[in-house]
Order: sequence, then C-alpha cells, then structure tokens
Amino acid sequence: MTQKKIFYLTIVFWLLIFSGFIAYKEYTLMTGTEVILKTEPVDPRDLFRGDYVTLNYEISALDLEEIQAADPYFEYNDRIYLALELEDGYGVPKKVYRTSPDNELYIKGTVKEVIYDWETDEDGITTEGPYSKELRVKYGIESYFVPEGRGIEIESQQWAGRAGVDVKVVVDKYGNAVIKSLLVEGKEIEI
Amino acid sequence: MFDKDLIRKWLDEGTINHTQADKMQTDLVEYKQEHRSKKQIIAFSTIGAILIGIGAILFVASNWERIGNNIKVFLLIGSTVGIHYTGYRLKYETQKYPRLGSALVLLSAFLFGASFFLIAQIYNVNANNSTLVLIWIIGVFPLVYGYRSASIAGLCSLLFYLWIGLLYMERTDLSELVTIWDLCLISGIAVYFTGTLHGLAERVKYAEKSFKFIGLQAVLLALFIRTFELGGYEVEKIIPVIYAISGILFLAVLLRKPLRTGLGSFQADMSISILALLMAGVTLTTIYIPGSEKTYMIFFNIIFLGLLTLLLYAGYSTEDLGIINTTMFWFVLLIFARYFDFFWKLLPRSLFFMLGGLVLLVISVLLERKRREFKARFSGGEQ
Repeated sequence: MTQKKIFYLTIVFWLLIFSGFIAYKEYTLMTGTEVILKTEPVDPRDLFRGDYVTLNYEISALDLEEIQAADPYFEYNDRIYLALELEDGYGVPKKVYRTSPDNELYIKGTVKEVIYDWETDEDGITTEGPYSKELRVKYGIESYFVPEGRGIEIESQQWAGRAGVDVKVVVDKYGNAVIKSLLVEGKEIEI
Repeated sequence: MFDKDLIRKWLDEGTINHTQADKMQTDLVEYKQEHRSKKQIIAFSTIGAILIGIGAILFVASNWERIGNNIKVFLLIGSTVGIHYTGYRLKYETQKYPRLGSALVLLSAFLFGASFFLIAQIYNVNANNSTLVLIWIIGVFPLVYGYRSASIAGLCSLLFYLWIGLLYMERTDLSELVTIWDLCLISGIAVYFTGTLHGLAERVKYAEKSFKFIGLQAVLLALFIRTFELGGYEVEKIIPVIYAISGILFLAVLLRKPLRTGLGSFQADMSISILALLMAGVTLTTIYIPGSEKTYMIFFNIIFLGLLTLLLYAGYSTEDLGIINTTMFWFVLLIFARYFDFFWKLLPRSLFFMLGGLVLLVISVLLERKRREFKARFSGGEQ
C-alpha cells in the first residue's frame, strides 16, 4: 500500500469515527422524546474534559418496593430498561424491565449496585434467598460539562437550597438518552 | 559502527595506513556529530508535538465559552486533518523535513484524541469514560504501522494503561478479581511482550523499543509499589494462570533459536519471562498459604532488587544504555524509599536529612562514574 493511500485511509477512518459518534448522538436528539429528570449535582473534574457537574438523578436509585419490576433478582452490571411515565414533562419511573418493552417510553441503564433483602417468616427466620430491594443505576447521562469554575457555582446554588436543578434529556426509541439542557428553577440556563 | 580503539588497532596491525586512519577518524567525528544532531531534532520536535497536544487537550478541558461548540469542533478537526496532512507531506512527499513530519503525525494523533473528547464533551458523555480512551487507541493504533511511528507506539502504550485504569475504576467487580498492582504488572508484561514480538520481525522492529520501554516502566512501578507494606495480598485463582501463560508464551518465543538470535535484548526479555513465572509461583502460593504483610514486603524487595540486577546485567551485556539508565533510576528510587522507611523514625530529623543527602551524593557519584564507564565503552571513548 502506498503512503498516499495510507494517508487517505487514515483521514477517512478518523472522519468516520467523528461523524459516526455525532450521528449516533444526533439521532437520539432529533428523534427522541424530551423528559425532565430531577437531580442533585456535585462538582468534580474530568481527566481530559475539565469541569463537570455529576448528576445524581432520582431515578438513579430505584426502590423496588415502590417501583414494579419484571423480576426481583438483579446483579451488578445487569442491563435494565426503566419505563417512564410523563407527568408535567417530568419522567416518573413506572416499571423496571429486563428486556426493552414495546410501545412504552423507556430509558436504558446499567445496574451499578444492588441492595438486597431476605424473605423472613414471623419468627424472623430467613425463608428465601436474597432479592433486590434497591438498585443504583447509571444511564450514561451522569455528567454535565460546564466552563472551568462554573461547576462549583451550580453546586452551591443547589446546596444552598436557592434553586432546584433539573435536567432536560432526550430519550430515543432504543432507550438511549442525551442531555439537552440544565434547568434552574424550571428555566433553561445558558452556561 | 567502528570506534577510535578499533582504528588504532587496525593502524598498529598495519591493516590501514596513517592517511586512512586520519580519514576514518575525521569521518567518525562527523558521523557522531550528525547522529547527535539528528537525535536532538527528534527530541525537540517530539517534545514540541507533545506540548502542543497537551495544550489542545487542556483547551478542550477549559470548555472556553467564548467560542461556540460548532466552531470549536471545526477548528479542532480541521487542525487534526491539516497537521496530519502537513506531517505526511513533510515526511513522504517533499521529504525535506522527515523528522518534523513524524512529529506532526504524532501531534495529529494527540489532536484526534482532543477532537474526540471535545465531541464527547458537547454531548455530555459521562466523565472518565474508558470507552472514549479505547476509541482514541483504535483511531491512532493503525498509524504505528502505516507511518512506521515509534512515538505513536509509545502513545498507544500509555493510552492503554490509561484505559486499563479507567476501566478498573468503572468496573468495581474487577477489583474483586485482581488488585490494581497485579493488573499493572500483567499489562506491563503484556506490553513488553508486544515489544518482543515486534523485535522478531524486521518490518516492525522500529516499534520494539517504545513498547518495551513503556512496558518495563509499568512492570517496575508495580513491583516498586509492592515493596512497601501494602496490607494483605489476596489473589483469585485466575491470576497465577495468567502469569503462567504470559511466562510460558515468553519462553516459547525466547527459547526458539532462530527467533532468539534475532532479538537484540534477549537477556532483558528473559528477565521479564522469569519474573512472570516467578509471579505465577508467588500468587499460587498466596492462594493456599497466605503470608503476612511483612513477608510480602521483604519478598517483593528481593524480587525487585533481583530484577534490577538482571536488567543491569542485560543492559551491560547488550550495551543498551537505555536499560542501564532505567535500572539505575529505579535503583536510586528503591534506596531512597527504604532509607525513609527505616530511618525516618529512628534518627533525629536533621541527622536524617544530612545523612540522606550524603548517601544520595555518594550514590550519584558512583552511578555517574559507572554510567560514564558504560557510555565510554559503548560509544568508543566519547563521553
């Protein structure tokens, strides 16, 4: 192979990676449904990408005694599909599935921690093996990048109780989610 | 290349006359000057490329709000392609500045990563995501062979460790399987082995040293950390198997005569294979007869010192100044660490620092003398 061919192949390969990644995210943004999720941010720093706000959503912790689940046995790194119901634009968890549900709005996540419980009889003796009581889930939308130094500002607004920070995300039909904007006191903010 | 001693020997033997000897001396000096200046050009251009690359990554990290996202993406991708093209032209088409061309190709590999991270930032892809680093590796690894680039081989090796580290942080179940230092050691052996494999084929030999250098640093770092009291050492059953497989693979390559003769750094490679097999034994024993914290500390000090001795021998016998410098660096670090461990609590602080300073001065004089001796031997009198 000549050096010229290698050069062209490299450029095509790189542009394919860039455009493929952009197309994947843009597809979600253009075809998905907007959902607002309640959150509480904290501010760390990424290795390559500077300041960001870590978003801990209400749906990041799923109490399976309150939310219906297809089965109660989950393990670390399991893929889950959380069906959402829209209430005034806010996404409220409806049911946790093992496989993608039909005709429902759902968001795809990965179980990162499982809190177990055991079935006991009247005397407190364990009668059945452990089942999942609570799940900690990651949806791939836990970081929101802000200009250098601004993360602390947003964090202090939240912790001072002056403002409620919500996140507007777009969820496509495959359950992939992309963050669209940050809402402070219900208003979209430009950072 | 011949040296001054050899010329003198030929002159004494009558193989060459005085005119020929003078001509050879002059050519030798010129060759060495040329060689040195080539090395300086490579060093300066590579460091320049690395600094600009780091600058581009920090530019992405600052998330500068005055420029819109689209313009930032356009700027970075445009620079990546533009610099890659300039590097390609200088190296292959005009061939006027091949070394600068290589440095620009390396810079474009950095900019590829910076551009990709910028796009990920715009779409708020989760922070410290290992997959992004993996895509960076996939994007630039073919350049190692396409452009015969040793520096990109080094970049890929470093990114590999970064990817391993981030993956280890992401997947908490990995910590139940392997400790971070065992993972560092295993991946160091793997990267070093990749270097050995590259050394076997003439077409890809240029990448051998980069892989081996980075792999060796990871191996030595992991062992060095283990020389401290780190608490209990827990090992899963799969770990000795991995060490044993890597050691056996190494031996399978090294013990075949036609392959062995092609390797310039056989002794150093052999030291790493011995280490892999030794670690298989240590981890296997740990599963059935776990030792105390102190036992492991003493044991790993012995292994680390043993490996350094083997490497020093390897560097000396293959006349590889790189291995000797690496070994001496880690040797000084080990002495420094043990000095702090043993004397920090025992001696009054002032005495501690004075004695420490004195020990280091003596060591530095001894090492410098030894290094000069080696260098003089390898370069035929030049210091």
